[in-house]
Amino acid sequence: MATNRFLCEICGKGFQRDQNLQLHRRGHNLPWKLKQRTSKEVRKRVYVCPEKTCVHHHPSRALGDLTGIKKHFCRKHGEKKWKCEKCSKRYAVQSDWKAHSKTCGTREYKCDCGTIFSRRDSFITHRAFCDALAEETARVNAASTMNLAVGNNISYHLMGTPLGPSMAQHFSSIFKPISGTTDETIDQTSRGLSLWMGSQGNNNNLQEIHQLGSVSSGAIFGTDPIVSITNNPSPPQADYQLNWVFGSKLPTSNAEALASTSLPLSDVKESVTQLVSVPSLYSSQQQSSHQAHSSANMSATALLQKAAQIGATSTDPSFLGSFGFKSNSNQVQEGNKYCGLVYGSNTIASGLGSDHHVVLENSVSSDHISTLNQLQMYPAKRRHLQSEDSNGGGQTRDFLGVGVQAISCHPSSINGWI
Amino acid sequence: MMDITLFSPKGKLSTYFFPSNQQSNNGQVSIDMQSNNSNQQQPQNSHTSTSRSSDSVEPCATANKWASKLLKECARAISDKDSSKIHHLLWMLNELASPYGDCDQKLASYFLQALFCKATESGHRCYKTLTSVAEKSHSFDSARKLILKFQEVSPWTTFGHVASNGAILEALEGETKLHIIDISNTLCTQWPTLLEALATRNDETPHLKLTVVVTANIVRSVMKEIGQRMEKFARLMGVPFEFNVISGLNRLGELTKEGLGVQEDEAIAVNCIGALRRVSEEERRTVIQMFQSLGPKVVTVVEEEADLTSSRYDFVKCFEECLRFYTLYFEMLEESFVPTSNERLMLERECSRSIVRVLACDDNENDEEECERRERGSQWCERLREAFSPVGFSDDVVDDVKALLKRYRGGWGLVLPQGDHHDSSGIYLTWKEEPVVWASAWKP
Repeated sequence: MATNRFLCEICGKGFQRDQNLQLHRRGHNLPWKLKQRTSKEVRKRVYVCPEKTCVHHHPSRALGDLTGIKKHFCRKHGEKKWKCEKCSKRYAVQSDWKAHSKTCGTREYKCDCGTIFSRRDSFITHRAFCDALAEETARVNAASTMNLAVGNNISYHLMGTPLGPSMAQHFSSIFKPISGTTDETIDQTSRGLSLWMGSQGNNNNLQEIHQLGSVSSGAIFGTDPIVSITNNPSPPQADYQLNWVFGSKLPTSNAEALASTSLPLSDVKESVTQLVSVPSLYSSQQQSSHQAHSSANMSATALLQKAAQIGATSTDPSFLGSFGFKSNSNQVQEGNKYCGLVYGSNTIASGLGSDHHVVLENSVSSDHISTLNQLQMYPAKRRHLQSEDSNGGGQTRDFLGVGVQAISCHPSSINGWI
Repeated sequence: MMDITLFSPKGKLSTYFFPSNQQSNNGQVSIDMQSNNSNQQQPQNSHTSTSRSSDSVEPCATANKWASKLLKECARAISDKDSSKIHHLLWMLNELASPYGDCDQKLASYFLQALFCKATESGHRCYKTLTSVAEKSHSFDSARKLILKFQEVSPWTTFGHVASNGAILEALEGETKLHIIDISNTLCTQWPTLLEALATRNDETPHLKLTVVVTANIVRSVMKEIGQRMEKFARLMGVPFEFNVISGLNRLGELTKEGLGVQEDEAIAVNCIGALRRVSEEERRTVIQMFQSLGPKVVTVVEEEADLTSSRYDFVKCFEECLRFYTLYFEMLEESFVPTSNERLMLERECSRSIVRVLACDDNENDEEECERRERGSQWCERLREAFSPVGFSDDVVDDVKALLKRYRGGWGLVLPQGDHHDSSGIYLTWKEEPVVWASAWKP
């Protein structure tokens, strides 16, 4: 017997679950102040999973509503009675199965090289061997130290590839506005600089990039609004898949991403962090081993010219412009240094000259992004997620339209013991 | 179209057919089971598949199988040492054969080459030439393109991958340090999906070490590039990963625990796809015992369904079995690829080496060359049972395989041995109701 004890203060409608109430409240178009929960009802977490071996069996990890714990139990410990006809995926919870069946087979997977797949397994296998993947990691890997030059209207952002929780710190730096002279010299032992140049014209240049090593850095922030400024008649689709995180662009081909543009900004960070942490796991030893200076003889005149064309626009301050140039120039100062440039500085771009070997990334992000989009379907990386700050409790991912597998609930701070 | 579950008259086997969604079914088409007469061991299924589209060209399925007749006659003539007949038939075949024609012409072409070598005792020389030509034209790009395209149009290799990955994941569930010993001929295309599954299935992603054992010269050269890709992809997936290649082995039986880098705290899986048939017949027992010595939690074996071992001293029988198998294979290739496909041509060419090796080369003569004497699943079962016991594929894995087959064009089926498990473990991929690939899992 379910009680509708969560009441909307505007219209009085009752809901069984707090999440549903919150979703409903959005529909009332409340002024911002009132968007917060007016009455912080301290919801007691009283529901404990009956399965003794389960984490949620312990009161400290209890969940807040009955439906939630029921679903959890079914998903984790129950028999998976519901099976998708098309792909044979199994579900314990009928609503999960229904949600999956709606989208199964309708997805198209697009690799950065442009090939489209209707089958997920062939997409995955293709990606693993695709040249686009190989080049991106080659580009991204850098020498041991990276220097950042500072110039007008330029700030340098490094896309680090830190491990686990330290990602959060990187993200905070990334959320800084683009303009402003921030002089950041960051210890490079664990960073990779990913640079974004969304234009497709870079593809041929990318072929020239030597293998630098193989660290896939935080190629999370690949997409950039500036891409739209370039003369791309058809902006690379994959590039936009992460744009939703920054609330700027809508991806052209991603239902989940579309649904997620409604994410409030406060969630963005967490989501981004979560997303980033998913593929970012790799041992640091790999990084140090790849610090070897590569001979990335990359003549990037064309790229530089293109870069120079693009103005220093940053449409969205929350968007990181986390693209710039990564240059592996042997002539510049000491040994191999990487100059990160935020996109859009004519002076710097031209200042680099042809002596500098510039490595520009095209589809780095897309690579990861498209993978991330696959990965975000899964509740996999809970341990990473939990190491981040949770922005409030019970953030399920239902509203992302994911619903493919079990939704992970992030327990917020414990309010009380039961 | 729904699956058709059928039972053989003996009630032992269940067969699933997967008409493709893409094809239009124009009523039932009876399949020319021309190869049936040489399969005494096959399950007798008396139904027909409705999976063929009527507009597909079937040059190989006509009654006018001149290639098969001529080739078999020639083989008999060689066995009988009837010189004039041999010459006559070779001449005729030469006139009619072409590697660019229809199925008959292609089969005639490649088998003619083997017959010629047999008759002139030039098998080894021919094999060497073919091998060196192939090595020169191989590159990472070409090999990758070839196998990926093949996997896109046909479940021939992906069948074994899905079954094996499923068995491996289930057997190693809960382990934190996985070590897979991979002895396969599919250039690591099996592993991306496994890596993805490892990354997404578990809360705690285990560490995976992949040790690839390479014997063929051709594969060795591309392994480095493949390794790099695997490492990058694993990073992308967020799976702690280590990749090693063992090459330079003369014999698979020479492998040791130390040589493979097997550690005590690792959970071992041995994965053999198309590998056991390349072990000389005398050594197969040794190799299986070597596997046992590694202490694996699971051994997955995938092989193509043909018996070229027990008939190795009976030329005609061996020839006929070889022809039967490759006829199926070529037909399958022809129907899976577009007519102008370059990849199909390359795959056909790759067969020529194998055919020459089996039919025209004396096994004992040259140890360095890889023999490729296939055995049927039931035969492998006998060997493997000496060291291992069979593990059935779980329902989940079977469902995955079924879902896989649904994604391809029609003609593919799945056979699950039921009931009496003796001598019939593993599952079979069938093409036009003929078992073509056998996949199995074993535990100590």
